[in-house]
Amino acid sequence: MNDTIYVGEHLWIGQAGHFFIVLSFVTALLSSISYFIDVQKKSNDTGWSQLGRNAFYVHGFSLIAFMSLIFYAMYNQYYEYSYVFDHVSPDLPLKYILSAFWEGQEGSFMLWMFWHVVLGILLIRSAGKFESATVFVIALADVILMSMILGIHIPWGDDAFRIGSNPTTLLRQINDAPIFANADYLTLIKGRGMNPLLQNYWMTIHPPTLFLGFASTIVPFAYAFAGLWKNEHKEWLNKALPWSLFSAAILGTGILMGSLWAYVALSFGGYWAWDPVENASLVPWITLVAGIHVHLISRNTGYAKRSVYFFYLISFVLILYSTFLTRSGILGDTSAHAFTEMGLEWQLIILVLTFLLLGAGLFAFRYNSIDQPKTEEALASREFWMFIGSLVLLFSSVLITSSTSLPVFNKIMTYYNPAYEGRVIKDVIGHYNKYQLWIAVFVAALSGISIFLRYSGTNWNFQKKKFAVRIMIALCMAAVLTYLTSFWLQFYSWQYIVMSFAGFFGIVTQIDYVINTAKGNLKLVWSATAHLGFGIMMLGMLASGLNQKAISTNPFVFKNMFSEEDVKKYVQLIKNKPLLSEGYLITYKSDTLIGRERRYDINFKKLDAQNQIVEDMTLHPNAVYSNDFSKVAAFNPDTKHYLTKDIFSCVVSLPPALSNVEEAQKIEDSLKFQTYLLPLNDTIHAGNFIIRCDSVTYQPTHPEYIKHSHDAGLSAHLSVTDAESDTVYRVETSLGMEGALLYNYPVAIEEAGIRMKLSESVAEDFITPDEGLEYKDFTIKPGAKVQVDGYDILLTGFDKNPQNPNYSREDKDIALAANMEIIHKNQKENVAPIYIIRDKQPMSIKSFAPKSGFHIRFSNIDPASETFTFRIARDKRMLKNLSLSMATDVPRTDYLILQATVFPGINLFWGGSILMMLGLFMAGWQRYTSLRK
Amino acid sequence: MNRNIIIAFILIAAGIAVFFNASKDVSTYANFGQASHGDKVKIVGQLAKDKPMQYDPQNNPNEFSFFMKDTDGVEKKVILHQPKPQDFEMSEQIVVTGKLENDVFNASEILMKCPSKYKDEEIAIKSQENQQ
Repeated sequence: MNDTIYVGEHLWIGQAGHFFIVLSFVTALLSSISYFIDVQKKSNDTGWSQLGRNAFYVHGFSLIAFMSLIFYAMYNQYYEYSYVFDHVSPDLPLKYILSAFWEGQEGSFMLWMFWHVVLGILLIRSAGKFESATVFVIALADVILMSMILGIHIPWGDDAFRIGSNPTTLLRQINDAPIFANADYLTLIKGRGMNPLLQNYWMTIHPPTLFLGFASTIVPFAYAFAGLWKNEHKEWLNKALPWSLFSAAILGTGILMGSLWAYVALSFGGYWAWDPVENASLVPWITLVAGIHVHLISRNTGYAKRSVYFFYLISFVLILYSTFLTRSGILGDTSAHAFTEMGLEWQLIILVLTFLLLGAGLFAFRYNSIDQPKTEEALASREFWMFIGSLVLLFSSVLITSSTSLPVFNKIMTYYNPAYEGRVIKDVIGHYNKYQLWIAVFVAALSGISIFLRYSGTNWNFQKKKFAVRIMIALCMAAVLTYLTSFWLQFYSWQYIVMSFAGFFGIVTQIDYVINTAKGNLKLVWSATAHLGFGIMMLGMLASGLNQKAISTNPFVFKNMFSEEDVKKYVQLIKNKPLLSEGYLITYKSDTLIGRERRYDINFKKLDAQNQIVEDMTLHPNAVYSNDFSKVAAFNPDTKHYLTKDIFSCVVSLPPALSNVEEAQKIEDSLKFQTYLLPLNDTIHAGNFIIRCDSVTYQPTHPEYIKHSHDAGLSAHLSVTDAESDTVYRVETSLGMEGALLYNYPVAIEEAGIRMKLSESVAEDFITPDEGLEYKDFTIKPGAKVQVDGYDILLTGFDKNPQNPNYSREDKDIALAANMEIIHKNQKENVAPIYIIRDKQPMSIKSFAPKSGFHIRFSNIDPASETFTFRIARDKRMLKNLSLSMATDVPRTDYLILQATVFPGINLFWGGSILMMLGLFMAGWQRYTSLRK
Repeated sequence: MNRNIIIAFILIAAGIAVFFNASKDVSTYANFGQASHGDKVKIVGQLAKDKPMQYDPQNNPNEFSFFMKDTDGVEKKVILHQPKPQDFEMSEQIVVTGKLENDVFNASEILMKCPSKYKDEEIAIKSQENQQ
């Protein structure tokens, strides 16, 4: 180590942070031990539970204090801390500072623990006799989670054994870069900043919701654990139900937010891709929902208690397993969006194993003492079919988990046999869809059937006729609706017809239930709402997933031998060249660079059979450049939402010159500019092109030129004829001067692959400064003329409203332009110098005649004699040839590659899933309020 | 009890059926030699940086060709039927999914592994130092 004394560091944050982190860890440990002793002890002494509670409060307080310190360091951009350096940069907008906080693994662990603390405090206040056993679980989880950010190094042979990664680690402690030889290195560095892909409001709302979902699954686990521990298998069921419903609702909302984010803001082109990261959070949700169903069974009938334990215990373990999958780096290249590795694999495994073994061990130990009714449930009872439904969900989660765990399986196999070749799923989406389709079908069918059955099959003999009728009606309606849907959607194969049928069956039965059985009784409505949502969601998947259609297919592209549908979804659009594709006229209108974002205007016009425009809208997908602007970091889509469909558009590729600085430089370097001397009003040949200088003007209209203000400028107006295509392009290239600076405004003809600019010498050749001119005064009467250098200069008249780009009228101006003609050998040139009186001060605006070289100022008016004085000078230098440099074969930069897709019925998917979550939330709320009574 | 056994039996039977069915969805990474049978395979390899890459969006935006070296060192031309991916030149490892036809590998999907975050960090600090 070196002995440099560094300047400007804020080490107190790290020191205070270290104190709080250790305090938080130790108090979590103390809390869990105290609560453990409290549950185990025989006496009525409340000392241990009091100690556990207080320790938990201190744990929570110091965690929040630590988080505040990190946040403070991030807010103030203390880049000496590696976590700040990694996630904050000077140009990071303040609104993303929270997102930056939980962008990294450490931050998200803290967010998770923060929710644990909140939930723990709620349990301390509400769990009653289960407080010690439940809060013990949370404290224990926090002990292990806390160890992830502890950052302790234990010497272990040659290496140091590392426990956790502390976010207050200094940058110079983990990087051995020469820059740290400078004592004032802090003035030299700036943070790397947040991934531009994540800089949107989704990153602000999705992680807190998802982590609350993750954290909340610990509550059903803790209650189940407490029930087993205390060997009381009834009472906790009442207390835990609102928690389970809340947890399923919030976790589900978190997952949906993720998929909505993927759909509207990321370029994934869909809302679900069966990515391991998505699957890992979906599976615990499925088991939790199964748990809620068996929970209801056991509350109403006493059956399936063991299943309740199983599902609640496994849900939280699966959450931990998902954490292991996404954070250990084991997913490797099978996932598009896992966290980056942090070297905590073993700690993550310990986290999973601790709760797996504790849960499984206790469950096995108490298995036989969990009471079960002696008789089997009736076949015609609600609980039987609900139980079957839960098994279907279990089956689904086993399938998804197995496939998602393939990388884990590979890793284990390679451990035993290094020559083992890892297995991968060939067609990921197809693989999952194929099986989960049937799960959805079963779930919809079972929910439709069991909602009409009664617990314990009460009065079945009396009910069965009515039941049969309602099911028959639902089946018929589902068949009719499926048939009608076939006019809207393509089903492609019989499996999808079954899926549609089951979805409609689910929808019809739930609506029937709400109208005829629940009759507005809110208590009964919420479960039907959730199930109705599921049915609608299934149809949404069929519509938007199966029937999505690329409208960005170019029919003119030559068909090659490889003809898979999915690869023809991109199209090249050239600026302002409309392309007709799948009934849409697509035009790339323009693009604008705003900050780091290049925003595109892409116009879609839908044409009907008569080529009439029936729909006209413009979408704005964009490309976001990386923080240092060196390359495109992300393409963000833009979607137009309609009631019945969405039109999704995303730029997928840009010309190399626009997407990567290095590439652009390479292209720029490879251009061969050649200089041509171009006589005015004459043509030259350059390769395939014939170039003519039509005129040189001193009032440039080049679009870039007019954005700036210049002292003087000139433009060459050129016509370029492409001899090959026999096309004529008229362009303008300009020079602008500001003091001693010369600005060049080149021009590109994209279609012809030409870039042209004026040589710098043009400025000297064509612009003479006023100081270099010898002006003489001439007095002219209207209609009269003077002779200068053999030219006749005629004053023809006046204009009281002068139009001149160099003159902008102000309120009390008196302005007069003199219209003059310069005549020489039948050649005529018009000029109009201006005389202005502003605030009683006379001013003049010079006029220049480029052909003859006259500079004319309107210098005085004598009202008495009606004479007008002009100062006239002639630029005696011969106007020279125009020096023009030009490069050919320039790659064009005015195009983009676009993906555009129509998602029909996608609102069914979102609407259905929102109904599901609403049903879960409201059911939880209703259970909560009835518990409070 | 009887009924539970039947249900368990059905579940296990369904599980086994799905397992055998799904095992067809799974394969190892292949190399170009194994791909010569014309099946759809996944191949891991590296970009042959000395060979030409071609992308001409004006002609066909859905076609990008390059040469790839598989793990055995065999080099073949790959035609990816997609636009050229972002940062393609920087990839350390490529996984392509597709079929080998007439000695050309037609890929419908591509996955790239890019240099890790930590390398970037080194670069970031170094480049900042160069600026001073």
